[in-house]
Amino acid sequence: MTRLSTGWKRAAAVALASVSMFSITAASAVEVTVWCWDPNFNGATMKEAAARYSAAHPDVTFNIVDFAKADLEQKLQAQLASGTTDGLPDIVLIEDYGAQKYLQSFPGAFEPLNSAVDYSGFAPYKVELATVNGQTYSLPFDSGVTGYFYRSDLLGEAGFTAADLQDITWDKLIEIGKAVKEKTGGILLPIDPNDAGWLRIMMQSAGSWYFNPDGSVHIADNPVLKASIETYQRLLAAGISKPVAGWTEYTGSFTSGDTLSTFTGVWMVGTIKANADQSGKWGIAPLPALDGVEGATNASNLGGSSWYVLASSAEKAEAVDFLAQVWGKDVDFYQKILVDQGALGSLLAAREGEAYKASDAFFGGAPVWQNFSDWLGKIPAVNYGIFTNEADAAVVAQIPAITSGGNVDEIIAAIDSQVRQQVQ
Amino acid sequence: MSNPLALLGRVATYLLLIVAAIISVFPFFWMAVGATNISADIIKGKASPGGALIQNLSVFFNSVDMPRILFNSFLIAGLGTALTLLISSLAGYGFEIFRSKFRERIFGGLLLMLSVPFAALMIPLFIMMANFKMINTYQAIILPTVASIFIIFYFRQATKAFPHELRDAARIDGLKEWQIFLYVYMPVMRSTYAAATIIVFMANWNNYLWPLIVLQTNEMKTLTLVVAGLTSAYTPDFGVVMVGAIFATLPTLVIFFLLQRRFVEGMLGAVK
Amino acid sequence: MAQSGLARNEQVSGWLFIMPALVLLGLFMIYPILWSLWMSFQVGRGMAFSFGGLTNIIRLTQDPVFIRALTNTLIFLAIQVPIMLILALLFANALNDSKLWGRGLFRTAIFLPCVTSLVAYSVVFKSMFAQDGVINQFLMFAHIIASPIPWLADPFWAKVVVISAITWRWTGYNMIFYLAAMQNIDRSIYEAAKIDGVPAWARFWYITVPMLKPVILFTTVISTIGTLQLFDEPNLLTQGGPSDSTLTLSLYIYNLSFKFMPSFGYASTVSYVIVVLVGILSLIQFLLAREKRA
Repeated sequence: MTRLSTGWKRAAAVALASVSMFSITAASAVEVTVWCWDPNFNGATMKEAAARYSAAHPDVTFNIVDFAKADLEQKLQAQLASGTTDGLPDIVLIEDYGAQKYLQSFPGAFEPLNSAVDYSGFAPYKVELATVNGQTYSLPFDSGVTGYFYRSDLLGEAGFTAADLQDITWDKLIEIGKAVKEKTGGILLPIDPNDAGWLRIMMQSAGSWYFNPDGSVHIADNPVLKASIETYQRLLAAGISKPVAGWTEYTGSFTSGDTLSTFTGVWMVGTIKANADQSGKWGIAPLPALDGVEGATNASNLGGSSWYVLASSAEKAEAVDFLAQVWGKDVDFYQKILVDQGALGSLLAAREGEAYKASDAFFGGAPVWQNFSDWLGKIPAVNYGIFTNEADAAVVAQIPAITSGGNVDEIIAAIDSQVRQQVQ
Repeated sequence: MSNPLALLGRVATYLLLIVAAIISVFPFFWMAVGATNISADIIKGKASPGGALIQNLSVFFNSVDMPRILFNSFLIAGLGTALTLLISSLAGYGFEIFRSKFRERIFGGLLLMLSVPFAALMIPLFIMMANFKMINTYQAIILPTVASIFIIFYFRQATKAFPHELRDAARIDGLKEWQIFLYVYMPVMRSTYAAATIIVFMANWNNYLWPLIVLQTNEMKTLTLVVAGLTSAYTPDFGVVMVGAIFATLPTLVIFFLLQRRFVEGMLGAVK
Repeated sequence: MAQSGLARNEQVSGWLFIMPALVLLGLFMIYPILWSLWMSFQVGRGMAFSFGGLTNIIRLTQDPVFIRALTNTLIFLAIQVPIMLILALLFANALNDSKLWGRGLFRTAIFLPCVTSLVAYSVVFKSMFAQDGVINQFLMFAHIIASPIPWLADPFWAKVVVISAITWRWTGYNMIFYLAAMQNIDRSIYEAAKIDGVPAWARFWYITVPMLKPVILFTTVISTIGTLQLFDEPNLLTQGGPSDSTLTLSLYIYNLSFKFMPSFGYASTVSYVIVVLVGILSLIQFLLAREKRA
């Protein structure tokens, strides 16, 4: 607690210093352009932040442009590659998995923010993933802190309560799934066979990734990766899951009661709460931990994104100041976006606000946000490296072998050789 | 017709056509039904009309600046189509009427150029547009599509059916070459132009990858980009997406219905 | 003198008519093509390039993902193009009958798919082929299948969905080409054949098909290029999955350029594989057409 509050004070001091530094340049009217990808989520939070900043700085206006996420990434990559800075925005939202790829492929394209932002106030794993050679480039935004979302009413019918799901392991969850199926016939989990999110979640929960901190491939000799795939195979073999194809079917499966639970990022809260008739019927437990793996925890991450300032930006000073002022320290702002958009930021001080302390009747009156921000601080930091998309593609190519119960060592060897071929 | 075998064949033909027509039209029907349902029902595969049309429409119009977006789309597709028809038909006509060995070689090379995937050309094109200071402009979208190799091919084919006697007569009357093209060729080939209009308008209207890279602001976006954006949210509202999909389909449908009689005639000319 | 003046006039006009298109193509086509050709010999990540000679070509032969993409693309080509063109030919032949009731209606209906907006098409198809989607509901209702088919989650069925989707979109388009060409065939040939007692299938096979050879060649070349560049359907419906079963060369190029660590040099090399394939296949098709005519 003390560590937190000193961090908070330091953040304020640094931010204050940067205000006086930039106040000279922010004299004339400027427009800051921001690219983001979901008008109802990160776009809406950005609008709120912009409104707050413009209220204090009437000379700064914002142009918030939203694209489809894949489209935004394509635009950004094409423009950075073309070497022309025409048309690039001032601030851009980048998904955390891709951060290192952009930072390392296009050196000099992004502005380090160390002098304006106090990073000790943010979740450590968010800072780590945007740091290259000691310089940090992002203003950490939403977290993908994971949880186990379940229908408390339907698991209750089979005799399981919240206490049974507290800090358990995957093997315990498999047992619960079997027991539920036996008692009520319910299927515990939807599984998308074209998605490798489960592996990323499991690996990071034990502080491991496809790559070593130095960027070298860490697949064939990675005990955590092996344990994760074995766990997943046990989960599939237990007959407690149902295959779904694509995002829509996946979310449709557990929101319709077809399956009873899922493990995913905190941003799923909005999708679940959209079904108002299910209020009080949901619970959220910590993610199950891997069995018998060194460093295994009950906290992990899936997705999440952060804001970056383009070094070529003409409005750089304003953009940096804006991020530092609002996103870097405005606790009240974080309460507002939590209530309105369900956006869980990475600013640790935000958890001291009212909204974070509130309990949610939808989830049986549990202090949902307090729990998530507890788990957020525990997420092991890993270096996502620059080839996460390539590694993901290699894993997805092996999923038929994984689901059909193939030999784990052979599967891992195949993933390893494809990744090594692709990263040359 | 009294032949039972022929009768059987006739029944089979109708059956084939009816099945094909139903399969072809069904997704349109489904899109219309979807626009009247809420997102959760669409995901569950509900195939009957619901009562959410008004709600979906109002969400769509509240989140999309329709007049501006439609203006962009129609300007880009309309102007692009007009210029493509002019430039590409000129070239198709030129290749067919005035032949030389060298120009035949160029024509042959066009086919190979057609086979280079666009993804490979996007980066250099973008660098060029940046050098021309044309990022986020209408002309950056329109100009690269105007000389369409496929349409040049198509007009060259069609020109084979253009009667030589007409051209000779016009020459004797003292018309210059450009006058022959403008006053004789274009009116005679109007059904070919009608057919090409549908094809080119459709391609321009649906153009996605390139406008995505070049257009930078919400005010410049086309309807195709906007509707694609609707599908990419963490929790897309499929009812609203269906409304967008209908609006994105309507203009090409209308153009097709308006021009389809000419279209069949035009195709007829093209492949003679 | 007059003769050569006319010839020169022809030459000048010939260039003038094609000049606007050539200038635009030179700028927006030839320059980017040369750039990408040069790129295909470069190696490196992001924007740090160096000349790599044949490195990229050697990399192709060792790249399991490329081999998968190439195989998938050729499978799509070998199965989809013939199905689509044969269907188009059959529909055109049926609609060519002037006594057929509702010709215009059928023609419009079958042509309709190709004017759909791409975005609309992807959304509609994805939801139709969902596990609980309307296709599975219908097939189960009709007792054709006992349990839902995992259309987009199974490598085999995902290929089927992609092939069905392309066929749905482009059959009517090709049909119109055939239909138009059929209407040009002299009616009297058919009448004579009918009087001689030639059955309908033989009239189709021995009169219609040979007369349509130039159009069939044209549509085959265009469809071949289209399928070798296949991008929209796998990108929108399956993202190349599950497990790369619908990954095409164009989608792989896209991934290499915009999704993975950008390696534009290698992506360009893969692009030229498509160009080479188009060149070879066009040559074979032209030679086959010529041989049959001889």
